[in-house]
Amino acid sequence: MSYPEVLAAPGSRVFTLGNVAIARACIEYGVGVAAGYPGTPSSEIIEAIAFAAKKLGYPYVEWSVNEKVAFEVAYGAAIAGVPSVVAMKHVGLNVAADPLFSSAYTGVEAAFLVVSADDPAMWSSQNEQDNRIYGLHAYVPVFEPAGAQEAREAALEALKFSEEQKHPVILRTVTRVSHTRALHVFGELRKPRLVGSFKRDPSRWALVPANARKRREELIAKWQRFSQLLSSSPLNSAEGPETSKLVVVGAGTGYRYAREALRRLGLLGEVRLIKISTSVPLPREFLAKELVGKEKAVVIEEGEPVVEDQLKLLSFDLGLQLSVAGKRSGHIPLSGELKVEKVAEGIARALGLSPPAREVMRPSISAPPRPPLLCSGCPYRGVFYSLRKVASKMRLKLIYSGDIGCYSLGINPPLSSQDTLVEMGGSLGLGAGFSHVVKDALVVATIGDSTFYHAGLPGLVNAAYNSAPMLVLVLDNGTTAMTGHQPNPSSGENLRGEAKRVSAEEIAKAAGADGITTVRSFSLEEVDKGVAEALREAASGKLHVLVARGPCVLTAMAEAREKGISRPVYTVLEERCKACTICYNLFACPAIVSTQDGKAKIDPRLCTGCGVCAEVCPFEAIVPESKVEKEWREMLLAKP
Amino acid sequence: MQSLNVIVTGVGGQGILTLARIIGEAAAASGLGALVAETHGLSQRGGSVVVHVRLGEAEAPLVPEGEGDLMISMELLEALRYSSYMRRGGEVVTDKLIIKPYGSRPPSAEEIVAELRSMGLNVYAVEAASIAEALGDVRAANVVLLGYAIARTQLGKLLKAESVEALLRRGKGAETNVKAFKLGMSAGKER
Repeated sequence: MSYPEVLAAPGSRVFTLGNVAIARACIEYGVGVAAGYPGTPSSEIIEAIAFAAKKLGYPYVEWSVNEKVAFEVAYGAAIAGVPSVVAMKHVGLNVAADPLFSSAYTGVEAAFLVVSADDPAMWSSQNEQDNRIYGLHAYVPVFEPAGAQEAREAALEALKFSEEQKHPVILRTVTRVSHTRALHVFGELRKPRLVGSFKRDPSRWALVPANARKRREELIAKWQRFSQLLSSSPLNSAEGPETSKLVVVGAGTGYRYAREALRRLGLLGEVRLIKISTSVPLPREFLAKELVGKEKAVVIEEGEPVVEDQLKLLSFDLGLQLSVAGKRSGHIPLSGELKVEKVAEGIARALGLSPPAREVMRPSISAPPRPPLLCSGCPYRGVFYSLRKVASKMRLKLIYSGDIGCYSLGINPPLSSQDTLVEMGGSLGLGAGFSHVVKDALVVATIGDSTFYHAGLPGLVNAAYNSAPMLVLVLDNGTTAMTGHQPNPSSGENLRGEAKRVSAEEIAKAAGADGITTVRSFSLEEVDKGVAEALREAASGKLHVLVARGPCVLTAMAEAREKGISRPVYTVLEERCKACTICYNLFACPAIVSTQDGKAKIDPRLCTGCGVCAEVCPFEAIVPESKVEKEWREMLLAKP
Repeated sequence: MQSLNVIVTGVGGQGILTLARIIGEAAAASGLGALVAETHGLSQRGGSVVVHVRLGEAEAPLVPEGEGDLMISMELLEALRYSSYMRRGGEVVTDKLIIKPYGSRPPSAEEIVAELRSMGLNVYAVEAASIAEALGDVRAANVVLLGYAIARTQLGKLLKAESVEALLRRGKGAETNVKAFKLGMSAGKER
């Protein structure tokens, strides 16, 4: 991906994503190390820093194999005095939670920014967790930008605070901050600090119980100081009449919704409006002054009532008679993301006003749902199709223990090959659990390459060690496709250039799998044979690993364009088509549609030229319309 | 200051993010406030995509339901899906294209256009994909619709055609895009 704007000249007005503005802040600050694991909505932060690093020659940047390792890489550098950033999606912080808690105990020597991109409304996630709660739990301050507009400033302030306090800081964004484009004015690039030195001090860096107990006391003292210091943060402010008995508190991006809702209600400038961008710990001194004499407060924030609850505690401690409305009181919905109309309605109801009149027209006919699909030409389609077909022939009932990645889209009919899907790497652990107790079905754990390296390895070792009979299907397309084709240990490259390729087969062998089969995803014949063998082995009580390898068709197409290799387009010979419907009803490539008489037709605009449908057709009715270049086939069918 | 709520929609892969970004960048370049709220990742891959574009003095990133002034849609079913975002009297510039979701029996193009009109929307159904295909690149359909919208709708009062053209000239496939934009403009004027 290309992010030329991240290096725009100081003083430039740049219209860009919140994530790119955060990347810019890191470069401006002079961060020396950036690490992360891809995950929507966080990925562009590391991508944009990597883009800048290619031009500037700094900072050191890597996609790590998972968030825990990424966290540790950046944390280590910050201990050694190099300002660092680690970026991940909200659920990634669960994986990195272990070092997060310890990092608060040890502190750091230079700025250490932990970016957590939360996903209210679950646009691309399995849950709606609010990572500000991690801040409370782990004693790590949380900054959250007031909308995409403030992404750069909040990141810079967070880096500064982290450095001054020698303590990690979480920058919490949400989808509508990370993925909203807004205007930013860029600042000067400070000289980066790229080289650190490690100052030996086991009493600080080695958390054996005796040391950790001392650090715990210091941590509690630090936390009180943080609340005081954040009370004077330039990111927090108040507007409107001080004398008003009513106050609306907008935290993070909630402030933008609150302000627009107040304007809509005609209350902007009539009630006190407080902006909080340092949500954890609550800037108590600043708020104490604001809340004295107030009767009613309404809190607007994305996610859980984190500021609302802290505000109630503060009010209780101060002995105030303040009634607090928000998510606990039901005025603002707990689930989903904020919306101006809901915030306006919530504020109005909380203040005893009638909600503003709205007219929403709904159509009387509806559009059929359009879930995301495996792309036409996706290497996974043939593998899933083959699994269903071969298992049915062998009269095997399968449990598809699924995982996180493009193959999650196999959940949709007709492939229907993701029965469970809970978290990164879960396919193996859950699958092993099934295999020990379910006797009338065979477990197929499906996991993509990036997820395999991320959290699949412990699950695989455990399955071997504890003899879990199942089929582990590693879908290896050589890239982290879902989040935008980031490189991973299967790619042969990293963010800085060529890299070692880590073989899934060798890992499986070392882990102790009973058997390993490798097939090329774009050869259906080979896949069918491999699937049959792997199912037979697993059904006989073995732990069998089947690696299906073939490039993501999107990267293959891009490579073909670059090298000037032309791709074929496939077509249906009408006279041979028997309208059996297999290609569009069971294989279901989006490029294949049915005609009036039930015969198949290929949309040349959508056909990628993968050729798998030609193998699927029992009547040899699907053929390439143009010559199939050898280089194209080799690209798809490169020897594993 | 004038403000405008724009819904940009279509099917993942049609160039919806690019279209929305051009509007936002052109607005920002002419000193107008702009926010463009995208969705990435799982929201693409041939799925339904909607981008919220707010021009003028908006602070929050999402267009409230019932308050869209303009919709630019690359596909009719998606125009129908997000029609509740539109206010009465709002304008809809949409491709006539229907991309049928797997295993569905969607309403016809005529039915959808009639339904949108019955909701009090001003609907402009354009053969954008065909125009772009005639230019040799169906991917330029997004720019055809943008040209049409600037020539025909309220968007033209906020954005100058020249500033959009200047942006297109700087991007990839500049030549085709500028042509597609101009064809869209003239289609919008002809009507």
